[in-house]
Order: sequence, then structure tokens, then C-alpha cells
Amino acid sequence: MNEPAKTWSVPDSLIGKRIPKMDAPDKASGRTRYIQDLEIPGALHGKILRSTRVHARILSIDTSAAKALAGVHAVITAADVPWQRPIGVGRDHLPLKADRVLSLRDEIAAVAADSEAIAEAALKLIRVVYEPLPVLATTIAASAPGAPRLHPDRPDNVAMTFDYAQGDLAQGEAESDVVVEDVFRLHYVTHCCMGVSGVIAEFDPSGNLLLYSNTQVPFLHKREFAELLGIDPGRIRIIQPPIGGGFGSKLDIYPFEPIAIFLAGITKRPVKLVFTREEEFIASPTRQPVLLKLRSGCRKDGTLTFRDVETVHDNGAYTSWGATTPFVMMQTISSLYRVPHCKYRTVAVYTNNPYAGSFRGYGNLQATFAVEAHMDKLAEAVGMDGLAFRLKNAQHPGEVTPQGMHFKSCGLKECLTTAAQRSDFLRKQAENRSRWNDPDPVKRGIGMASMLHVGGGAKIYPSDGCGTILKIDDFAHVTLITGASEIGQGSETVLAQLVCEELGLPMTAVTVVNNDTDITPWDVGVHASRTTFIAGNSAIGAARKAKRKILEAAAAKTGNRIDELGLAGGFITASSGEKLFELAKFLRSLHFSDKADLVMTSFYYEPPSRHQDKQFKGDVSAAYAWATQVCEIELDTETGIVRLLKVTGAHDVGRVLNRLGIEGQIEGGIVMGQGYALTEDLRVEAGVIRNPNFRDYKLVTAPEIPEMDISFIETMDGEGPQGAKGVGEAPAICIAAAVANAIHNATGTRITALPFAPENVYRALHGASEPPVWNAA
Amino acid sequence: MLRAGDVTVLAGGTDLMPQTQAGRLRFRPVLMNVRRVPELKGIAEDNGVVRIGALVTITELLDSALVRERLNLLWQACDHFASDQIRNAATIGGNLCNASPAGDTLVPLLALEARVVLAAKPNGTLQIRRVPLAQFLLGPGRSCRGLTELLAAVEVPLPGAGFVGEFYKHGTRPGLDISTISIAAGARRDGAVLRDVRIAFGAVAPTVIRAPRAEAALEGHRADAATLEAAVQAALAEIHPISDVRASDWYRRELIHNMLKRVLTHVCKL
Ligand SMILES: Cc1cc2nc3c(=O)[nH]c(=O)nc-3n(C[C@H](O)[C@H](O)[C@H](O)COP(=O)(O)OP(=O)(O)OC[C@H]3O[C@@H](n4cnc5c(N)ncnc54)[C@H](O)[C@@H]3O)c2cc1C
Repeated sequence: MNEPAKTWSVPDSLIGKRIPKMDAPDKASGRTRYIQDLEIPGALHGKILRSTRVHARILSIDTSAAKALAGVHAVITAADVPWQRPIGVGRDHLPLKADRVLSLRDEIAAVAADSEAIAEAALKLIRVVYEPLPVLATTIAASAPGAPRLHPDRPDNVAMTFDYAQGDLAQGEAESDVVVEDVFRLHYVTHCCMGVSGVIAEFDPSGNLLLYSNTQVPFLHKREFAELLGIDPGRIRIIQPPIGGGFGSKLDIYPFEPIAIFLAGITKRPVKLVFTREEEFIASPTRQPVLLKLRSGCRKDGTLTFRDVETVHDNGAYTSWGATTPFVMMQTISSLYRVPHCKYRTVAVYTNNPYAGSFRGYGNLQATFAVEAHMDKLAEAVGMDGLAFRLKNAQHPGEVTPQGMHFKSCGLKECLTTAAQRSDFLRKQAENRSRWNDPDPVKRGIGMASMLHVGGGAKIYPSDGCGTILKIDDFAHVTLITGASEIGQGSETVLAQLVCEELGLPMTAVTVVNNDTDITPWDVGVHASRTTFIAGNSAIGAARKAKRKILEAAAAKTGNRIDELGLAGGFITASSGEKLFELAKFLRSLHFSDKADLVMTSFYYEPPSRHQDKQFKGDVSAAYAWATQVCEIELDTETGIVRLLKVTGAHDVGRVLNRLGIEGQIEGGIVMGQGYALTEDLRVEAGVIRNPNFRDYKLVTAPEIPEMDISFIETMDGEGPQGAKGVGEAPAICIAAAVANAIHNATGTRITALPFAPENVYRALHGASEPPVWNAA
Repeated sequence: MLRAGDVTVLAGGTDLMPQTQAGRLRFRPVLMNVRRVPELKGIAEDNGVVRIGALVTITELLDSALVRERLNLLWQACDHFASDQIRNAATIGGNLCNASPAGDTLVPLLALEARVVLAAKPNGTLQIRRVPLAQFLLGPGRSCRGLTELLAAVEVPLPGAGFVGEFYKHGTRPGLDISTISIAAGARRDGAVLRDVRIAFGAVAPTVIRAPRAEAALEGHRADAATLEAAVQAALAEIHPISDVRASDWYRRELIHNMLKRVLTHVCKL
């Protein structure tokens, strides 16, 4: 029988092409089965009773009425799991609270029932008696002498401290002709993933645990759950259904996950626990709120001399990743521009507020907001324009910063000049300024900010690696099994693309398997803009092994050297381009020989990066991403409304792999940055979230999205997959800083507190605001 | 069904559903869907009065040439209303019966001196009463509609020829927002002098309100900067805004001050 003819339509190279996301048709047509859609036979529905008090002693919990409700299978409290252990980054958090609640989200009891409605009805029947305790609503209150301890082992309520220094601050100050100082206040926002948090837990009769989970870090979680349950991590399997966004929120372990596991263990049934939207607002993490004092100096010629930073992090009731954002903040302080002398100090203080987790940008939005305000301020003080001032202090390729970061490739200067030219920055800046005193209440402003972020992984854990298994069947179909999780960012598409590029196959020839810890190789998780870089290098490694194997076999047949052969368009080709064998046919012929060993494994193990030492010095990433964004705004001085009209961005992305994917990342990141700057504001008052809903928590809507002009600066990073760097977080980082500078350009008023919501801006313009003051205890 | 009185009326459900979901409201034993009652639909003019059926949706108001041309103040308010999806479901009757001080159609309707038509059938015969909007609204979420009454329609007398109005809504974003404050203002110019001055506000008092003293400061006067300022000052004495999660009372006052001036400047073509 003749083989069916195959039609390959493979262009020369896939790199830089616009490739639709592989999961897009399913998502657009509603076929994707998220965790909400998974119906496990026999599953019960879990619900959590949360505290109604911000800070209180639990005197008693009466679950008898709830237990008696028909359809209820279990009602548990801390008393039912005396062996539970503290969880989370700080290991300071019991899943079910025993005698005290420290914040409004605190978990007191949980129910497993036949339906969500029954579970909810049961929650209403649980009676909790509290004895109120004084609420520590601010870091000042929590630091006051005699303030109640929130955690017994922390007499001063300090959760964490960070101290970093380089050079000699006194010398830096002495050499300065200009010194400026400001206090900045960064507010609470939250991720608002369309896919809320959720988990399904199920034990098999031998006690093996299966979790369907929206986590971003399946392999690390295996270990944490194992510790919690006192079982071998090998007995835990995590399957990730398609995840509706992560943005960092699913990077830590949270009480609802152990609680679902407890319920599954006790009822011996699968238990599904998925948040409501209100719960997602109340009980998923926030971005780290920060109070930051910055002192900076420069010489008359515009050379930066020093930076001195102190921050207070409101840690909330428990410690998650938010407390550790200084790792990233100090990189921006010390190394976004060349500054010889730096000091950085953070104190994270426990309060009764919600606690912060990791969130796209990881402290960098906060640090960049402060640093870029001072870049403008110093430039003005020495009579330079903001562009020239930044260029004078910008990093360049080859630089090793005092913090130990090595910028093997660095496109900051190109980013600055490109964004400035394309936005006509200097001309517009001067024109806007000249209109300060004209009678039109509606002003225009333009502002610039740059950023530095890890773009080649981040050595946060002992390893930053990712494994790949790649198999090719005898129809030349590739299955790429990768440790890297897809959370909507498009990683599976770009990984498939990198493999196709090596093997000369079309995108349709690849299936990606990436969501089952029993199948996929180890990976450290989706975070730190690392997946394309790390998992991409790993996938390329496996594809190259396969390619070599195929070409070796072909060379044996044709007598060529393997470097005279290639893979293109589904064929094994000669250097002349002549098609020698159809790849699928060739693989089938191999199949009937002893050479059909087409399962490859590869680890990108490790990227050439170094863990920071005790002084926070180290080259933590194999590559660094850069960007400059220019924001143009319109500001109505009679209402305080700021409209973001246009963003001109220039991004050092190493190289564009999937153009459609990178545009999506950058556009989405800009909108997230816009929300942070202008509209999003999680209002926490005395520990209570006042607006846990989309009516009063304002996400940016379609008509508000600005015009965007994005340029890619391709610095072809030597270590990057096909030269690329990570860009997942970069686009969200500069917007608030650039908008702040634009507001100053429009009005002459510098606002140092976020968000730029209408009333806040109006108050600042009319002298009716309370600018942030430094009140660290 | 209504006669028994223990009924929740369902129109578009865009207030009802979120309110019950949030636990702020409980359905009564009977949920009565009125969406297919033909008598509650339609927009028609008769003898200088436009009758808008309670079930008319915001989208239908926007699509109506009569509303756009003759009740433009109401049309503008609809143009600031929620999003397309909500506009397709939300009815004018629901907006009125919900009686929110921030209800967007209520502000122009008040300025246009509309009255609501309430219908009941206590003993088999239809009883109709007409109530001016200002008397219909009693407080946040409260109206004088009896438990056994249905809002059948709202009647709006056509403003005189040459009447120009402007609606302003302040929210933090262009769509999908509840008014922080809203203003409906209109007048007719008789040479240099203003006539038929109407000013109404949303979200600055327990109900939407008219501003009679501000109107009086303009009525029969020449439209100049000093008169406008006097009207704005009069208006500030008539509002009682509160502080809530959306805005402080101070900011609401500032907005009324600045934006009433801006709206009046446009209306008076200063
Ligand atoms: C996302 C969102 C955005 C919104 N944006 C706006 C906005 O921009 N501006 C604004 O003003 N409002 C807004 N609303 C509120 C709401 O859409 C409006 O108030 C709408 O007009 C209500 O109409 P409905 O037909 O949906 O009322 P329903 O929810 O069906 O009913 C509302 C109330 O009126 C009663 N009722 C309804 N019809 C009758 C009748 N004929 N007789 C007697 N009682 C009746 C019901 O029993 C109920 O108590 C928004 C709501 C949502 C969910």
C-alpha cells in the first residue's frame, strides 16, 4: 500500500513568526475543562468557614448543628487534625486555626458535603464564640512597645528583615551636588485571575494522594504536602487542569489546599474545593504594600552617587512570598542604573491585615516607582533632560554590578533611545510643560521609566533547572513532555515552536504534555519570567539530541557526514536543500531496526547563575531583561481623572520567538501595570477588605486600554534559547512609575502614593492629600 | 398574583440577582417574571407626553429616535449606563423601582419632571395612579410603590422647543461604573435669558434630587459667569453627600462644584 502523501507547509524558520497559542481554539470555544468543570465521580464539595473577626481569641466552636445537616459528610476544626503543621513560606500558618484568628480570612472550620449548597448551609450552622483582641491595623501599631504579639516566637512582630550595602554611603553623600529624598506609599492590589483558586484532593485505598491543583509549582508542592502529611513525596501526584491565570498568586501553599486534603482523608472521598470570587478577593494573596523612603544623590554632571533606601513591608498576619520582595527590589535600587554607593533595608512587620504573596514583577513595580521618580527629580535639579540623565547612568553590556549581577547582554540604552524617539518624548515633554498655566483644565503629560528584571531564570532555590522528555513516533509526531507549567502565558506554544524549529516540523506535529508530576520531569515552577528561558533551553536540548540521532542514522545510510544533513519541511535534507528522505518514512524504517531509540531526555541543569550570598550578592540570573516605557496621559484637573492615552515601549527581549505570544504578554502586562497605576485598589481598613468584588475593585476595561507602540530590542543573548530572554513580568513594571512622571509633566505636582485614582489625584493637585510620611518604628 | 402582596417582581434581574446573591435581599415566596407582559413595553408619544413602558431596556432607549431627539438628556444617561450586556437586560422600570440615589436614568427623568404610572388590581379591576418621580422616591432603595403595585410605565412631558440638556456622570472609568456623582442640567435660551432651568443630581443625597435654589438662581437671568457661580454655590447648599467606598463627601462636593459649572457652561454656550 502506498503511504498517504503528507503536505508540510513549513516556512524556513519559525522564530519571530506569529504563532497562535495552541490552547486558543479550546479556550475561545469554551471547550477547555478548568478545575470548575472537573466532575470526579463520588466527589464531595468542600467549603471553609472563615473568621468574622480580624483579631480574636476563639473561645468555642460548635459544629453539632452543621454535622447533623443531611448531606454533610464531615465538619472539621483544628481539633480534628491535631497533627497539622504550619505551612507557607514562613511556616507560620496553621491551615485550621486553633485558638486565635489573626486576620479576617482565617480558616476556622471546613465542611465536606454532597453539594456546594449543602456545604454552604452547614457553614451557617457553625457557631463560633470569639473574644476580641486589639487589632494591629498598621505597622506602627504592630511595632509599638507593648503591642500584642501576633506570633509567640516574634516578640517584636518582625517577620523578616533585609539589609544590603555596597560602597560607602557617607562618601556617596559627600560627593553629591544634589540630594533628594521622598517617601513613597504603594498600595494593595490583587491578582484577579479569571480562574480562581481551587483544588480536588483524593486518596486511593493505599493512601496515595492525587491532587488536581491550579498550582504554579507542582514539584515543590509535592514536597510541602508530603511534609504536612508525614508521607513520602513519591506518594503524591499533582495534575494541573488548565489554569486560568496565575501571575504569582499560585506560588505558595495556602490553607485551603491542606484543608481539602484533610477532608478527603477523613471522608475517604474525593473533595473539591474551589473559591468563590469573593473568597478569591479575601483569601488569596495581594501584592506587597510598601512604605519606602528613598534618598538619592548625583553630581552636577548628572553622575549618580548614592541611594539610601528604607522600607517597611506590612507583612499581614502570615508570611508568604510578599515578605521576600526585597530580593528583587534591591536589584533595581542597586543595578538598574550605575550607582556606586547603596544601602537598602527592609523590615517586614506582622499586622492583622491580609498577607501578600508573589505577584508579577515581585517588588519591582514598587522599587521602580521610587527610583524612576528620583531619576526625573535629580535630572531636573541638575538641569538635564530625563533621557540624557538616564543614558548617562545606564548600564551597558559586560557590566558586573556591585551587587554581583553580570549583564552579558544589555539593551537599556537602545530601549531608552528607541522609546524616546518613537514617542517624540523630549518635544512633547517641553510642550506639556509650557501649558501648565494655560486656562484649559485638561492637561497632557508624558513620562518615562525603565526597568531591569531577571530574564534568564532566577536562582531562588538551590536549583533552577527544568527537565524535558521528547519522543518521536514513527509518523514523525513529537510528544514534548516538559516540567514547565502552562498557566495561560503561552509556554507550551513557544516550547513546541522551539522543538519544531530544531526538527523542521510544523506546529501541528507536536503535542505538549506538561501537567502531571507522575509523567513530567522535575521543574522548579512558573515564576521569575523563567519558563521560556529555562524550559526552552531544556526543550531545545532534547530536540537537538533527537536531531543528532536521526541525522546519524541518515548519514549511515547516505554516507554523508552529519553536518552535511539537516531537517526541514518534514524531510531529511542535504546541504544543497535536496530532500533525501521523508522524515516519517525514515523513522518507520528505523523502527524496524535496533536504532529506533527515539525517546530523548534533557535537562537544562543548571543555568549559569549563582545564588546570592548572605550579603545578597550574586549573579542570580543567566540573563537580564530591560525595558523603557513612555506613558502619555491626559489629566482633568477639575476631576482628577487620569487617562492613559498611549504607551510607547521598547523591550530588550533578547530575541522575539513567538511574535504573537510576546505581544500578548507585553500588552497584558501593560494593562496590569495600568490597573496598578490608576484603578485597582484593594481597600483594607482595620484589617477588613472593603471592596471584595469587581464592582468596587476596578480592573481596567477595554475602552480604557491605551494605544501601544512596542519595539523589540533584540540583543541575542548568548545563553538564551535562540537568543531570547524572559519577559513575563517586565511589561507591568514601569507603567506606574512612568505615569507618575507624566502627571508631574502635566501639572508640576509629584505624587508619591498610589493609585492615581481620581480622588487621590484631585486631592494632591489641590493640596488636600496626606502625602506619605516616614513613620517606621 | 400581585394581590397577595408576597411577590418579588423580576424584570431584567440586573439588580435583583446581585442583591440576592450577596444576601442583601431575599426573594419573597413568589418570583414573578413580568418580562413578557406586552402592556409594560413600548415607547410612544401622545399629546406632548412620552410614555415609556417599564420593561423598556436601556438598549431600547438608546435605539429610540424619539428618545434621542426629544429626550436627549435621558438618552445621554443611557449612553453612560453600564455595559452592552447589562443594557440589553436592564429595564427603566427596574432602575426606577431599585430607587438607588445613583440610578442613572432617575437623574434626567427627575429633571424632565417625569411621573411614574403604578398599576394594581386589588379587586379584579385595574387601578392606576400617577405619581411625580420626586414623590415616588423615598430613600435609598425605597419608593412609595405598594407591595401589590406594579410599575407600568414612566411618563415624560416633552421639554419645550430649544431645550438643551447635558448629563454628566463621574466614575473612575468610562464604562461599567456606579456614579460617584451625576448631574443632569438643561435650559432653554430666550434671547440672553435662561428659561425652564432644570438641575438634578445623583449620588449626593438619599435619593436623586432636584436643585430648586440653583435653578432659581438661573431662571430668568442672563447666563454669565457670575450667575453661574451663584447657581453653583446655591447647589452646594442643596446637596448632602456622604463618604463611602467610592468617594468622600468632600470630593463629591468638589465634583459638583467643578462639573456643574462645566455642564452649565456647555448648556448656556458660554
Ligand atoms: C454590572 C452592573 C452594572 C450596572 N451599571 C449601572 C449603571 O451604570 N447605572 C445604573 O443606574 N444602574 C446600573 N446597574 C443597576 C441595574 O442594572 C439597573 O438599576 C437596572 O435598570 C435594573 O433593571 P432590571 O430590569 O435589571 O431590574 P431588576 O433587577 O429586575 O429589578 C430591580 C428591582 O425593581 C423591581 N421591579 C422591576 N421591575 C418592576 C416593575 N415593573 N414593577 C415593580 N417592581 C419592579 C424588582 O422587584 C427589584 O426590586 C448595574 C448593574 C450591574 C449588575
